[in-house]
Amino acid sequence: MLKNYFKIACRNLWRNKAFSAINIFGLAIGMATCMVIMLFIADELSYDRYNKKADRMVRLTFKAVLNGNLLSFPTSAAPAAQTLLADYSEVQEATRLRQMGGVIFSYENRTFKEEAIAYVDANFFQVFTIPIIQGNAKTALTEPNTVVISKEAAHRFFGKENPIGKVLQNKSENTSYKVTALIDEVPSNSHFHYDIFVSMASYAPAKEPTWLSNNFVTYLVLPPGYNYKELEAKLPDVVEKYMGPEIKKSMGLSLAEHRKQGNEVGLYLQPLKDIHLHSDYTNDLQANGDIRYVYIFGAIAIFMLLIAGINFMNLSTAGASKRAREVGIRKVLGSVKRDLVQQFLLESVLLTVLALLLAISLVYLVLPVFNELAGKALTLQLANNIWLVPGLLMFGLVVGILAGCYPAFYLSSFRPVAVLKGTITKGKESLNLRSGLVVFQFFISIALIVSVTVVYQQLTYIQNKKVGYDKEQVLVVHDSYLLGSQEEVLRQKLLADPRVLNASISSYLPAGPTNSNNSVVLADNDASKSVNTNQFRVDYNYLPTLGIQLVTGRNFSKDFASDSLGLIINEAAVRAFGWNNNILGREVSCFINNKGDKAVYKVIGVVKDFHFKSLHQRIGPLLLMLGDNGGSIVVKAKTKDIAGLLTALKGEWTSFSKDTPLVYTFLDERFMQTYQKEKKIGYILSIFAGLTIFVACLGLFGLATFTAEQRTKEIGIRKVLGASLPNLVSLLSRDFLKLVLLANIIAWPLAWYAMNKWLQDFEYRTSISWWVFILAGALAILIALVTVSYQAIKAAVANPVKTLRNE
Amino acid sequence: MIKIENLEKVYRTEEVETKALNKVSLEVNEGEFVAIMGPSGCGKSTLLNILGLLDEPDGGSFKFLGTEIAKFNERNRADLRKRNIGFVFQSFNLIDELTVFENVELPLIYLGVGASERKEKVEKVLEKMQIMHRRNHFPQQLSGGQQQRVAVARAVINNPKLILADEPTGNLDSANGNEVMELLTELNEAGTTVIMVTHSEHDARYAHRVIRLLDGEVVMENVREQFTV
Repeated sequence: MLKNYFKIACRNLWRNKAFSAINIFGLAIGMATCMVIMLFIADELSYDRYNKKADRMVRLTFKAVLNGNLLSFPTSAAPAAQTLLADYSEVQEATRLRQMGGVIFSYENRTFKEEAIAYVDANFFQVFTIPIIQGNAKTALTEPNTVVISKEAAHRFFGKENPIGKVLQNKSENTSYKVTALIDEVPSNSHFHYDIFVSMASYAPAKEPTWLSNNFVTYLVLPPGYNYKELEAKLPDVVEKYMGPEIKKSMGLSLAEHRKQGNEVGLYLQPLKDIHLHSDYTNDLQANGDIRYVYIFGAIAIFMLLIAGINFMNLSTAGASKRAREVGIRKVLGSVKRDLVQQFLLESVLLTVLALLLAISLVYLVLPVFNELAGKALTLQLANNIWLVPGLLMFGLVVGILAGCYPAFYLSSFRPVAVLKGTITKGKESLNLRSGLVVFQFFISIALIVSVTVVYQQLTYIQNKKVGYDKEQVLVVHDSYLLGSQEEVLRQKLLADPRVLNASISSYLPAGPTNSNNSVVLADNDASKSVNTNQFRVDYNYLPTLGIQLVTGRNFSKDFASDSLGLIINEAAVRAFGWNNNILGREVSCFINNKGDKAVYKVIGVVKDFHFKSLHQRIGPLLLMLGDNGGSIVVKAKTKDIAGLLTALKGEWTSFSKDTPLVYTFLDERFMQTYQKEKKIGYILSIFAGLTIFVACLGLFGLATFTAEQRTKEIGIRKVLGASLPNLVSLLSRDFLKLVLLANIIAWPLAWYAMNKWLQDFEYRTSISWWVFILAGALAILIALVTVSYQAIKAAVANPVKTLRNE
Repeated sequence: MIKIENLEKVYRTEEVETKALNKVSLEVNEGEFVAIMGPSGCGKSTLLNILGLLDEPDGGSFKFLGTEIAKFNERNRADLRKRNIGFVFQSFNLIDELTVFENVELPLIYLGVGASERKEKVEKVLEKMQIMHRRNHFPQQLSGGQQQRVAVARAVINNPKLILADEPTGNLDSANGNEVMELLTELNEAGTTVIMVTHSEHDARYAHRVIRLLDGEVVMENVREQFTV
């Protein structure tokens, strides 16, 4: 019996090649999308779980409200780890990590700028499960000036030589570090990635007792089965005991008084496993994932599979009239409904398995592209995963049975007498269901088109937004501090180049990754007027180089010696300080070290607000002060001959520094870099939108075929009575257009709601225009029309004599 | 073998009620060859469908092999059908995706007959129908006469007690038609009961008895002797 079914199934597939191909292909696309997304989600959910102690690890976080502004950091104070370990018995282990910016290391003649570096406590590799290949995890980082490096970094510096015992030089600080252990690499699903781990013993600030500077990521290991909320409930005591006195000392206010003014300060715990998907902190170790995207993609995966399954049903039932006679004959010959249901289920499972094979090949094909987009390293390795093959088979079986159920019961319920006499109604009763399915498919498609358009609108908005400074033709030469006193010489040389408009030395850039310095200041030296500000250390040329406009007052000038304590602030700072007039000359006291020492600055100018942070954030108070914080040279070119300027720059750079590489970026590129995540979402959504529409169209095509077949006789009669081709095409297309219109009506408000929510993430955003909806609707209707009209025209041009005789 | 009394079948639409069969009573004995005749719409196909257990009556009694089956459900009817009844249709109704061999084999599969026994039986009947050389062809590759021979082969493969033929020669030329009628006669002579619906007076002459229907009622029964005088 099975063999017979199988034979029939194969021959049927082969006979209706086009139909089978559409069906298998549609289902394969749905399954492939679903598989890729499942891999993505599985990866997102797996973050940090590689740690053996992941279940009982937490990260100490710091949150404060200062004059109505929320500050939240994933970092805490240097002494927090030891203090908690000593004061609370439930803290079994504590370890710290301090992230560093790029550091230039060299070994013999090899010099590299290492971006992924952190100081870690000696017990770091006992707390985190990062496998050590060579060396001792327990003792590797106990001494100062020791480092643990990754295989890749080792290869960079030492080639094939054994890295253990080798010494890396840090030229800028004139220090050297001995390699004591080698790790493979930090697993890709980790919330941090470093190539070089430096012993915390090498880092002096790690021993400072101050509680007001939060620069260390502190991880705690709690007892198995312990609820971290219990420890979190005790943390206010820590704030009271250790932070209170320091706040009193630096601000002149007790913690209670500070709170009375509406301020808040607190320590919290975050489970390690929540870090990747549930973090929303300023300056986290790396860009984290977002649980909302996991949900969105999960929904897309389910929708894609649903749409593909719906297609499968539509196409299978569309071919029903062809199968009806077979069903009739089989029933006459003694088949019962159950046999037929089994037969059709077998066919759909067979089809699904074929689709599954195709889907797997598709996944192999698209994974590299998807990885590129999503910044992942997902793989589908059948050999490495024992559950994968049975899992995939189960997946195919379940999809096949689910998608095959409806056609199977529908087909097998034909009454033989009716079928064999050709008076079958061909399933008018199920037309409503199928129409509903088409509405659903197009609802999803239209909602996705709207979403994609809004994402791109926002990206265009960002790109064209007047940010308050010049970002075009601005070149940033990095690590110029390595040149030491020659840095200024290089700047002068660049200034002398006719292609250069201006040049400034500062490591504080308004776009892309940059130095940042958050600090509380007291306006008018008044302890009750504490404001959290960003501070940029700049030089005399910073404002003109970046084209930042002064509203009042003046730029820093060499003519005023007092400018070393001069301050240029932005309009947001003026508002935050509560100043209305006589702004120039007013005083602001700023902390100048971690010990609470202050210096008083005088305001000499106010600049127009410019976006020195991403458009996700409202422009906050910014203070510009003179500083010798060299780091990079910002060059504003006045020429289109950037290539020529770069060649000249390279020449100059090599004449100053032979062994360190020239690293440069463009400010406008750095600006867009901030919105990589949005760009990727835009890409990914548009791919999904395209796929959804494509698969939905396959379904529509199936339904159109079905309807055309069903109405052959009607069309024949109408033709005999004189209906024209356009009459007939519009007759056949009208019903589908109604469905797509209905889908529009459902999709619009939902898409509007969802995208409005998405835009809330941006402090500066575009508004959703009405034409987006019209565009999405029109596009869907157009696509639907093209799809349907093929079948409609085919049915309409058929010879009525033939179609009528068929009946 | 078959005894029906006051059999009724009504087709209803929202507004009209049509009596396809109106209190039909008749009896068919084992070994008989009966032809049912009548103009289009007289109810003869409806009667044949009910006799073939493809359709159920709305009233009256239907005894098949002594068992009252008017109230049988689909499952029981299917079971009874596959064991006892073979069908021959005007339009052959072969499955296009199956070969000649596989088409003939199908009823045996549904009866759960083993593969080797199936092969033996199918080959035997194909020999008998002189269609063995076409065993691996598909229906569309055969002539009408050959297709109907395959259909007859399929109808008799499980040695049914009853063969129901619905205008078996309707789609055939006269030579092929006669051949099929000869086949049915042979089967009948070998003991199988045959009930045939036909428009053709010529074909009806092969039957022992002719039942004439008009508007759902039996209007005349003649046995061959009277008929052929």
